[in-house]
Amino acid sequence: MSEEAYTLAIDIGGTFTDVVLRDHASGILSVAKVLTQSPDPSVSVLKGVKEVLNGVSPGAIVRAVHGTTLVTNALIERRGAKTGLIATAGFRDALEIGREGRYDIYDLFLKLPEPLVERRLRVEVRERLYARGEVMTPLNEDDVVKACEVLREGGVDAVAIAFLHAYVNPDHERRAEEIVRSLMPDVGISVSHRVAAELREFERTSTTVANAYVQPMVEKYLARLEDGLKVLGILAPLHIMLSNGGSCSVQTAVRFPVRLVESGPCGGALAAAHYGNRSGYRQILAFDMGGTTAKAILSENGSFPITTESEVARVYRFKRGSGLPLLVPVLDMIEIGAGGGSIAHASELGLPTVGPQSAGADPGPACYARGGQLPTVTDADLLLGYLNAGYFLGGQMELSVDCAADAVDEFARFTGLDRVRAAQGIHDLVNENMANAARVHAAERGIDLNGYALVATGGAGPVHACGVAMRLGIDRVIVPPAAGVGSAFGLMLAPIAFDYVRSLVSRIAALDREVVNKLYGEMEDEGRALVREAGIDDSEIRVVRTADMRYVGQGHEISVPVPLGKLTESSDGTLQAAFDASYKKLYGRLCEGVPVEAIHWRVTVSGPEPEICDVASVGDAGGQGVEGQREVLFSEGKYGTAVYRRDKLGKGAVLQGPAIVEEVESTTVLPPGWVLHVDDTGNLILIREDA
Amino acid sequence: MTGREIDAVELEVLWNRLISIVNEQAAALMHASFTTVVREAGDLSAGVFDRAGNMLAQAVTGTPGHINTMANCVRHFVKAYPIDTLKSGDSLLTNDPWLGSGHLHDITVVTPVFFRGRGVGWFANTCHAMDIGGRTLGAGARQVYEEGLNIPIMKLFSEGEINRDLIAIVRANVREPDQVVGDLYAQQAGNDVGAVKLLQALEHYDLVDIEGLSTLILDRSEAATREAISEIANGVYEDEVKLDGYDKPLVIRAKVIVEDRSLIVDYTGTSPQVDRGINVVYNYTHAYTTYPLKCAISPHIPNNEGSFRPITVTAPEGCILNAQFPCAVGARHLVGHFLSQPLFGALSQAIPDRVIADGSAGLWNTQLEGIGRTGERFAYIFFSAGGMGARPGDDGISATAFPSGIKGVPAEAIESVSPVIMHRRALIPDSGGAGTFRGGLGQEMVLSVDSDYPALHSCMYDRTRYAPRGFLGGRDGRCGELFLSDGTVLPPKGRYDLQPGQSVTLRIPGGGGYGSPFERDPKRVLEDVVQERLSIEAARDAYGVAITVDFEVDVEETAVLRQKINE
Repeated sequence: MSEEAYTLAIDIGGTFTDVVLRDHASGILSVAKVLTQSPDPSVSVLKGVKEVLNGVSPGAIVRAVHGTTLVTNALIERRGAKTGLIATAGFRDALEIGREGRYDIYDLFLKLPEPLVERRLRVEVRERLYARGEVMTPLNEDDVVKACEVLREGGVDAVAIAFLHAYVNPDHERRAEEIVRSLMPDVGISVSHRVAAELREFERTSTTVANAYVQPMVEKYLARLEDGLKVLGILAPLHIMLSNGGSCSVQTAVRFPVRLVESGPCGGALAAAHYGNRSGYRQILAFDMGGTTAKAILSENGSFPITTESEVARVYRFKRGSGLPLLVPVLDMIEIGAGGGSIAHASELGLPTVGPQSAGADPGPACYARGGQLPTVTDADLLLGYLNAGYFLGGQMELSVDCAADAVDEFARFTGLDRVRAAQGIHDLVNENMANAARVHAAERGIDLNGYALVATGGAGPVHACGVAMRLGIDRVIVPPAAGVGSAFGLMLAPIAFDYVRSLVSRIAALDREVVNKLYGEMEDEGRALVREAGIDDSEIRVVRTADMRYVGQGHEISVPVPLGKLTESSDGTLQAAFDASYKKLYGRLCEGVPVEAIHWRVTVSGPEPEICDVASVGDAGGQGVEGQREVLFSEGKYGTAVYRRDKLGKGAVLQGPAIVEEVESTTVLPPGWVLHVDDTGNLILIREDA
Repeated sequence: MTGREIDAVELEVLWNRLISIVNEQAAALMHASFTTVVREAGDLSAGVFDRAGNMLAQAVTGTPGHINTMANCVRHFVKAYPIDTLKSGDSLLTNDPWLGSGHLHDITVVTPVFFRGRGVGWFANTCHAMDIGGRTLGAGARQVYEEGLNIPIMKLFSEGEINRDLIAIVRANVREPDQVVGDLYAQQAGNDVGAVKLLQALEHYDLVDIEGLSTLILDRSEAATREAISEIANGVYEDEVKLDGYDKPLVIRAKVIVEDRSLIVDYTGTSPQVDRGINVVYNYTHAYTTYPLKCAISPHIPNNEGSFRPITVTAPEGCILNAQFPCAVGARHLVGHFLSQPLFGALSQAIPDRVIADGSAGLWNTQLEGIGRTGERFAYIFFSAGGMGARPGDDGISATAFPSGIKGVPAEAIESVSPVIMHRRALIPDSGGAGTFRGGLGQEMVLSVDSDYPALHSCMYDRTRYAPRGFLGGRDGRCGELFLSDGTVLPPKGRYDLQPGQSVTLRIPGGGGYGSPFERDPKRVLEDVVQERLSIEAARDAYGVAITVDFEVDVEETAVLRQKINE
């Protein structure tokens, strides 16, 4: 590459905004970390960008990628636009009735999330389609006009339109949209067949309403950000991280802001899989453990499982079903209430329990000596010798062993344990909780973790990685370098990619292929246009088709690959064979003779994977020198354990467990029976020898 | 654990592991299941048991219908086939209502687990079968013989070989043989996953069995439950509710006796069993008794044999809550779902801040069958919920199931697989009982069938005569209603032909209120009016709150209205 070229990534988190600039020629990353400012984070972004440029010509930036939690936070904090809904007569309450269920069967006092649109702003119009799309009752246009009057009087800034069966026939929604646009030219409009063309009125309406609710805010924010970057001289296309692990243009993000909703942790997941793959591991359990939560996702051959049944703004953060449902493709990730700050306490059964309550960053664990009195995972890790009181965050913060001991003693007293056993118990319990969550997550997806490698990131990840791995029967752990900016780095790995879906329930044997060909054609045309809009050349566009299929009578669909091109008579056999193969892989056996039906037809249209060659990593130099030695308690017993600094370990270095490797962002704990080596990419590879 | 001590940490770790294992078991089962109510609504249970058949842990699934019925059921298996008489690869099953969960549709599969050649425990699960022969799920039968195939406890697998004779009999008796048999395999797959994971855990933690662990888990849970019961003042608390019944009203009478650290529920005085399929076997009564008690008293204590020990449930033989063979039991939930109400009514005298008012309770089950426009036969069944009772401190939840955990089905899903058309699904204003906290609203559904032929509508509905009651001064919720588009009122448990072009309206009841409506904050009354949940007239009549045409509270008039009521 003769010319200078750079990629810019901007990752806005709750506390910090990370800006990373990558020099294509050298692979070197420059990093700026600035405090996230609210309510307008574009200010902090621009500040960080200026800092990271540091003499680099803005014109040399060829791509900018941005990940933001703006949409998620707006939904959690209910800071979106005042939104109205226009619904089919008889169905304005779909949004409130939901699925008629409770997410916790023992809690009489449970709270359901309030719908984003209050009942008086949910207006009905006469229109009705049959499930196949034929008109039962034509759209009553006067009703739409009246609905606009009600909504205007109600002072709405955004309007959602969601009619029954509009995913099959969008005519009524389109006509209603035209009328609303002409009568209310200043409001944003979201229409269900475009936002989420999927069967199930509650979920589709919920998604459409959420899209409308956040749209005005996202539009303003992204316009400001684009302008700001232009002022700095950055003219490269700005791409926005989506929750499916891909990215899109600003125009697309503004049309479908709800697709950004769970994009926050995607960067980290992409980075973890990338690091694992670079070391030759194709089946990855990416495991990130921070201060408050741990996240886990499975990846095979660089791709991730996607779920389209996501939710946002849960009433209880770790309670599935307590949020607003969204039909948005998201990386299928779990979040567990387990982090360094997780508090140990006694349960109603008098047994020691850890989390999900967290001491957070303030006051933080007792050992921070900032007033926290309650024992946390970090306190236990310190007492067990895993953490170095003098080298936490590279020595920026001295930890207090005395404060940790006092807090753990209190916990030991009411659980009837001694200090050491209590500390060990806290460490083991949090490992068990995380391993259990990962195990059930894998089981729910029909995945056997045997043969997977665990990629550990986050401040507490490498401390707990081997303990979690052993509980999962995993005997390979990878600790990538410079985990601190992994998430921002991961944004650069996101290709342009957008997903489409249409619902058409049909048995494979009785498929109307014309209709399916039409659906696929529409989706692919739309997708190509959108990817082109992000500056991708036609020749580089990739299309992947899948269908959600099941045996007739089952309630759960599986994702089945569908060949490209027009479906013909011979395709029936291909679809059946593809279903059989997918089903067998998941469940081990087929149900001979039971007909198969398809429910949803999906397309992903994407640009090329960004080429990211080696990130500048460790040199060959550096020794194997032991930095120090301390007593560390493992489940096998107490060991005098050698302590190393990661930045002094060169490629090819080999350590025998027990050992501790310290770096600024984290500490890697290598238990007895494990061996570690530094591979060519700079990853620490931990292998269990006694497995 | 035999052979070594387990400290508190290890107990918590192992306990969590068992819970994780049963959740994996349930996940495997749900994935492979054919039956929509199993998958979508979680109408299943899965659990792990010690050698003697004590339930140690149960998966978190959708509905309490099977909670503890499975626990009691496994004892019968252990008695019939002690674990040492079985071999690896054996598996047992039954759907006997009196041994299992109260109707033939629920099939329980129980599998022994062997570690190093010795039986260490059992995995069991219960699943709702798609069909079991007989007259299809409903309340109409007069004897259990009419309701389908009854399989006594027997082997499903012998050393890994399926029982071919049994499968042939099942196939010959059910309407959807592939799917019903497919579900049996799914049930076995779930137990197998549980067994594999348990063996891995035994290896990992260097244990030879789970007997010692079992004792610790059960004793801890029992002690914690007793502790929770001891917070209730000793006494005898009584209540009764009236239900529509099949063709004549029923009374459920409950006496809750709290004695120090144990609790007895006695249903003496409840109506006798009837000659239609709404009778409840003792196991099911026990399940729907312990479930609401747990919600009110000890929601955070895990479900296992130990947590049930402090609670005794009795019902006289031959009463509708301890119905005797061979009575019909198909729609037993129509009675069982109401048990929480006299229990909460009784407990409201002791712990009023921990129970909720009556709700719609029994799910409204709608079954429609006939011939569609294309000539294809169809049968579609779905479940719908009315309003939950109001709660101390909060309004009841609208259109949400309790005590059942079953979820509703989208109109679009119903219409895409059947000719049933749902013309309306809406909350019913003014249907929630007035109170300091308002009952949840009921919902209205209008249904027709897109066909040139009449369709058979089987109704399984209740609380059309006796309204869900308010608690502590709260008003009753609104009764259910059922009528045709020509105005004809229909009986709530009948079957009739819905004619082409005709529609039927279901109005599912609202929940009862909690506390005096005159104590309700007028601002909340206003909000209900603004959001069209309450009419201006009802605000005035039921709450004593005057609301102006500009949607403001008329403070002075409200004071006068409420003053008058107090006098």
